[in-house]
Amino acid sequence: MKGIKLDKLKNEGVETLISKERRQFLRFGLIVTGVFLGGSILSLTSAPKAQGAFRSGKVVPSVGQFPYKPHYTMVIRQGNCIDCELCLEACRSTNSVPAYGYRTIILERRIANAEGEQERAFMPILCNQCNQPSCVRVCPTGATYKDTTNGIVRMNPNKCIGCKTCMAACPYNARYYKEEDRAIDKCNFCIDTKLKESGGKTTACCAVCPAGVRIFGDLTDPETAAYKLIHTPGNVFWVLRPEKDTLPNIFYMDA
Amino acid sequence: MTFYTKTNTSTLPPMNQILIFVALTLICVIGLAFGLHTMLVGHHHTLATTREVPWGLLITPYVFFACLSTGLCMISSLGQVFGIDTFKPLVTRTVFLSLISMAAGLMCIALEIETPWRVGFYALFSPQPFSNIWWKATIYSLFTVATICNFLLLMIGRHKSARAFATIAIVLVTIGNLNMNSDMELLGARGFWSEGYMPLYFLSLSALIGCAAILLFNWMSSRFNNQILQSQEDMALQATGRLFLVILLGIFYFTVVKIMGGFIPKFTNNPEAMALLVQGGFAHNFWIGEVGLAVLLPLALIAFTKGKKVIVLALAGISCLTGVFILFYDLVIVGQLIPHFQHYNVVDLPQYYSYSPSLHEIMISVGVTFFFLAAFIFGEMLFKKIYVYGQ
Repeated sequence: MKGIKLDKLKNEGVETLISKERRQFLRFGLIVTGVFLGGSILSLTSAPKAQGAFRSGKVVPSVGQFPYKPHYTMVIRQGNCIDCELCLEACRSTNSVPAYGYRTIILERRIANAEGEQERAFMPILCNQCNQPSCVRVCPTGATYKDTTNGIVRMNPNKCIGCKTCMAACPYNARYYKEEDRAIDKCNFCIDTKLKESGGKTTACCAVCPAGVRIFGDLTDPETAAYKLIHTPGNVFWVLRPEKDTLPNIFYMDA
Repeated sequence: MTFYTKTNTSTLPPMNQILIFVALTLICVIGLAFGLHTMLVGHHHTLATTREVPWGLLITPYVFFACLSTGLCMISSLGQVFGIDTFKPLVTRTVFLSLISMAAGLMCIALEIETPWRVGFYALFSPQPFSNIWWKATIYSLFTVATICNFLLLMIGRHKSARAFATIAIVLVTIGNLNMNSDMELLGARGFWSEGYMPLYFLSLSALIGCAAILLFNWMSSRFNNQILQSQEDMALQATGRLFLVILLGIFYFTVVKIMGGFIPKFTNNPEAMALLVQGGFAHNFWIGEVGLAVLLPLALIAFTKGKKVIVLALAGISCLTGVFILFYDLVIVGQLIPHFQHYNVVDLPQYYSYSPSLHEIMISVGVTFFFLAAFIFGEMLFKKIYVYGQ
C-alpha cells in the first residue's frame, strides 16, 4: 500500500481558510474552554474547608490552640469497657432515642496481642464532634452546624430536608433519621438535656458509666479529668479513621 | 423541534397517539402514587435504605436524568450557541427533551428526600454556600427557568433571544454537573467517588447519553409520526452518531481504567469498592451493563453499519442509555457498601453492607421514567399541532 508523503504535499497555509470559518472555529474553542473553566472554578466555590476548622497536624491540639471555649471533648478508656450498655440505656432515656435508632453504640473488636493471640475489646462509638465535620460541610440548609461557642456538632431539626447526605458523609456512622422529628438525629453531648442540667460537667452516658470508660471534659479547662488525661506525658491516644482528616474530638486510649 | 413535511391537515393527533400517551401517563401516575404513599407514611416503612446505606435506587434516576439533561443541553448548544449548521435541525426537540429530563430528575429527588417542602424555604433563607447540594439545587432550578425561556422563545421564533438563554443554560448546567460529581466526591466517609478522573467522566457520560437520547428519540419521533426523516435531519443525526462514537471511545478508556482498578489495587484509591464492582457481587452489572450495553454493543452496532442507518443508531442509543443507567446505579450504591469500620476487626461486621431496592423505589423510578416518556409524546403531539396551525 502506498502511503501519503506528507513532505511532498504543498502547504495550503491558513490564508486559504475563509476568515469567517476561522473566527467561528476560534470562537467555538473559546466558548468550550470558557464553559469548562467557568464551571470548574464556580463548582469549587464550596471547596474551602469548613468554618471553624482547626489544624495542628497532631491528633491532640496544643494548649492555647483550641478553637472553642469551652472546647468539649470525650476521652474513651477502651480497655475499661465491659459492654454493660448502661451508657446506651442512659442515652436513650435522656434524649428520647427511639428503638430503631441509636446515638451511641459499642462495637466488639478482636485485637491481636503481643503473643499473637486474639483479645476482645469493646469500642464505644458516638459522634466525634469533628473540628472539620464532613456532615456540616455537605448540609444544604445549615440544619446541621458546628456550634461556634463549644464546638459541638448540632442539629436544627426544623431545617432538615431529609436528604441524608450527612449520613452518607459521616465516617463514623453516627447519624440516623428520626421519624418522629422528620429529621436527622445524632449525639450532641446532651447539650439540651444532661449537659445543661449538670452545668456543663457531664453527659448522660458518662454519668452512668461504672468503669470510668467515658470521660467528658473541656480541653480549655486544666481542672477537668479529660484535660488531665490528655496532657499527661506518656499517655497514648488515637482517633478513629484519622485518614478522613475530620479532626475528631473523641480520643481513645487503652485504659 | 424538527419540522416535518406536512402530510395531513388534521389538527387533532390520531387516536392511536392519544392512546399511547394515555397508557404512558397511567403508568407514570401509578409510579408517582407510590411516591406519594412513601411521602405520607415515611421512607422508613417503604424504602430499603438504611442507616448504613442511606442513598438507594432513587438517587440513580435523579443522577441519570440530570446528566441526560446536561448532555442534551450540550448537544443542543452545538447548533444554537456555537452556531454549527449541521446540528441546527435538532435544536428545538433537544431543548424540549433537556427540559423534561431535568423535570424528571427534580421530580425524582423531590420524592427521594424526606421533607421536600422544606427545601425551597430553607435553601432560600438558610443557604449553606459550602454545600454542593445547595449549589446544585440552585443551579438546576435556574437552569430549568432558563431552558423554559429558551424553549418558549424558540417556539415563537425569537432565535436571538433564545440563544442568550441557551448560553446561560449551558453554563449553568455544566457547573451543575461538576457540582453533582463534587457532591459525591466530597463525602468524607465514602472514598469511592474521589477518583481523579471523575469530573471529566461525569461530563463525558452526560454528553454520551445526550447523544444516545437524541438518536433514539428522533427515530422514535419519526416512527410515532409515521414520517420519513428529512435529509437535513438525517445528516444531523449522522453527525450526532459520529460524535456519539468519539465519546464512546473516550468512555471506553475510562471503563478500562475502572477494570484496571478492579483487578490491580494500586490503580485506584478505593480498591475494596472497585473489586466489589469488577469482580464481586456487582460484576454482572459491571460487565453486562457498564461494559457490554453502555460501550461495546453501541460501538459494534455503529462499526458494522458505519453509522449510516438511523435505526441502528437508535438501537445503539437505547443500549447505551440502559447501560449508563446501570452504571449510575453502581456508582451510587457500591461505594456505600464498604463498612465504616472495616479495618477495625469488628465482630459480626459483614464484609459488605447489603442493599436491594424495594417495590416502592422501583415503582417511583418507573413512574419518573414514564413521566419523561409521556412528556416526550405530549411534546410530539402538541408541537406538531402548533406547526400545522402556524402554516
